[in-house]
Amino acid sequence: MDGVLIPTLVSGLLLGSLYALMASGLSLIWTTLGVFNFAHGALMTLGAYIAWTVSEQLGLGLAAGFVAGIGAAVIAGVLIELLLVRPFYGNRNMMLITVMTTLAASTILERGISMIWGPRLKQLPRTLDGQVNLLGAPVSAHEALIIVLAPAVLLALWWYTGRTLSGRSLRAVGQNRSAAALLGIDVPRTFSLAFGLSAALAGLTGVLLGSIRFVTPGLGADPLVNAMIVVIFGGLGSLGATAGAAYVIGLLEALLVLWLGLYWTPSVLFVALILVLVFRPNGLFGKAA
Amino acid sequence: MTRLLEVTGLHAGYSAVPVLHGIDLHLDAGEAIGLFGPNGHGKTTLLHTVSGLLKPTKGSVRFDGQDITGAKPSAIVAAGLVQAQQGNTLFGDMGVQETLELAAFNPRGRSGAQTRLDEVHALFPRLAERRRQRARTLSGGERQMLSIGCALMCNPRLLILDEPTLGLSPRLKGELREAIAEIARKGVPLIVVEQDVEFLLALSSRLYLVEQGEVARMIDRADAPDHKEIMDMYFGEQAH
Amino acid sequence: MTRNRSLFALAALVLLALVPAVVTDSYTRHIFIIAFIYGTVAVNWDLSLGLAGLFNFGHLAFFGIGVYTAAILTTALDLSPWLAIPAGGLTAALAALLIALPVARLQGIYVVLVTFAFGQLCMQVVLSQGDLTGGAEGLVRLPYLRIGDYSFIRDFRFGYYYVALGLLTVSVVALLLLARSPFGKSLRAVRDNPDYATARGISVARQRVLVLCASAVFTGIAGGFYAIYLRVASPEVFGFSVATLILSMVLIGGAGSILGPVFAALALTFATEAMAGIRGLEEARFIVVAVAMILVLRIAPAGAIDIFGRLLAPRRKS
Repeated sequence: MDGVLIPTLVSGLLLGSLYALMASGLSLIWTTLGVFNFAHGALMTLGAYIAWTVSEQLGLGLAAGFVAGIGAAVIAGVLIELLLVRPFYGNRNMMLITVMTTLAASTILERGISMIWGPRLKQLPRTLDGQVNLLGAPVSAHEALIIVLAPAVLLALWWYTGRTLSGRSLRAVGQNRSAAALLGIDVPRTFSLAFGLSAALAGLTGVLLGSIRFVTPGLGADPLVNAMIVVIFGGLGSLGATAGAAYVIGLLEALLVLWLGLYWTPSVLFVALILVLVFRPNGLFGKAA
Repeated sequence: MTRLLEVTGLHAGYSAVPVLHGIDLHLDAGEAIGLFGPNGHGKTTLLHTVSGLLKPTKGSVRFDGQDITGAKPSAIVAAGLVQAQQGNTLFGDMGVQETLELAAFNPRGRSGAQTRLDEVHALFPRLAERRRQRARTLSGGERQMLSIGCALMCNPRLLILDEPTLGLSPRLKGELREAIAEIARKGVPLIVVEQDVEFLLALSSRLYLVEQGEVARMIDRADAPDHKEIMDMYFGEQAH
Repeated sequence: MTRNRSLFALAALVLLALVPAVVTDSYTRHIFIIAFIYGTVAVNWDLSLGLAGLFNFGHLAFFGIGVYTAAILTTALDLSPWLAIPAGGLTAALAALLIALPVARLQGIYVVLVTFAFGQLCMQVVLSQGDLTGGAEGLVRLPYLRIGDYSFIRDFRFGYYYVALGLLTVSVVALLLLARSPFGKSLRAVRDNPDYATARGISVARQRVLVLCASAVFTGIAGGFYAIYLRVASPEVFGFSVATLILSMVLIGGAGSILGPVFAALALTFATEAMAGIRGLEEARFIVVAVAMILVLRIAPAGAIDIFGRLLAPRRKS
């Protein structure tokens, strides 16, 4: 058992790290605007494709690919905010409408990507070559980087929203929009800032994921579903609970794959989710509304 | 004396419901004015329109010679017109100190923020005592102090206070009124909405009675009517 | 107003019933059949999303469950398609019951997330249980619908046309009756003023369970018919694109209006099929539909029919 358990834990950590990066991006927009961005996965995909074009097709190297991929995701994210979210501020049904407009955005992005780049699978090179030892299990250096990078990014995000004035203005706008405006905080600009930051996280996740999995138009859509399970478990309200839930789900998924195999894991995960919600409608860590 | 604020023929409302039907009022530099009148007759709507939270449908607002009609709230705060909202809980999950620092985030508040923070602490020592406490755990009076403190952190050239003592105990009311009078003494021009006309008369040079979305009457402190007459204006003759 | 609308709907039904007399090529009839199926799915989604105001984004899962129920029953168990198609409605309703358990008590965005995740997880289950479902390739060569020796594909899909139209008609009539019943009225009451409705003793949780199950029945049957008609079951039915297409039918037709989504389904199916025929637009048609949906949400949140209504209204007055 020992020989299997450690690699399973490591793969759980890797999954948890990816989910944490995705879910924190979703939570950032939700806490600031009360909008759930269904195009988050498509933004990841866009980041990965742009990074592939810049790094592989143009041969400018992976570092340039990272910058371009994240940059493209930020531009697309801010455009989504300007065109598909902003017109509905103050609407009684804003949450529902933006679910639909961001779903439409995700269709537009995914189909557009598949028209531009075609159906052939692509793959990004790894950021780091070679292997490292993690808890006695050999792991590729790239995956180890993700495992280290995710908590670092989460900490940076926590520091930013808690300690800097610009980060606090995000929280202020999320908690009381009109009071924030009366303190001179530019609310619309803060909305764009939240979308841009979240899209940057999506772009980063997409580029990192693109060297573990094949880059396809559905690259971001599949893990998005699991990131959604994460936010259902952890609630959307706080960064800490969301990140915690991400690692719980990642480890649970890895253990389920070990015990039940790849086939039954999604179904068992979903039944577990339904059971949790039947008994705790606000999620595992969620507080009552 | 220069004219600091000039509101002319202001109309505003919520979607299809008009609330203000042509409000005129003005305020000179170094002056404090008071607004009073029954609830639901447009006082808060007027303040929200002046602060840019609501777009007027007609009329104009000029601040220090500049036309700020329909400007963004952030631009209006940047110009120095700052409002402390009524009954405000501000940001429930944020600490007192955090909130005060955040209030100096706009370009206007950034320079000299530390000095102003000391001034706010001197004015409301309780905010200094509770600096780590979250806003949602504060009492009603402390929330009002935080709200006014935040507005002061924006370095206002005109401070608007919307019912700062609403729902407070008589003792706290007194404490807050003391602080407001202190702010006025320092020379910050004020617009104060209050139900207590005596307090307003002591504080300000002019009073406006807002009724049915209009200025029903303007009272100069020099020839203020007596208590009974004000009560009649307020509640209408039939109330007696 | 309602009288006019019923007459209009009746006239439309008579016209649609006469179409095969005029349209004899099997491609045009095929598009009509697909439009009737999509219309059935759209109008039932309108029941939960529009009429009951329940943020259900997993409606296509009921359709997909119907598709796979009929496909598996006819291939693995050799069941007659005539039984496999209604069985799709049964399994879809059972799935709705399962998902309704948590949804009954959830609020706002969490309803969206759970129902949406449900749809995506159905796809993952289908993909992972390859022995039964055929995995990514799906199931093919399902049996034809036939009576005795007569196959419904003959005479240019004559039989399929009327089965599809019948399904849509029965489903719409059932929904119109339901909307006018006391239950339908209580649905609208909860949608428009949940607090008041709760205070009057309407159980929101029970309502949600009933609405989800009711909306799943015809959707599942439509899925079963879809599988038998096309003779394939593929996991694509769970994907984003089909969901966006059907959602745009509900929105463009006007959520909560029942008849609106039916006409939007006819119009959009013909439009997207026409675009699919043009080279280079096979992918772009989904983008066009998504853009149309966004425009409708911005310009006329009550649906495209509302645009016509507003264009006509001032003229009537003058």
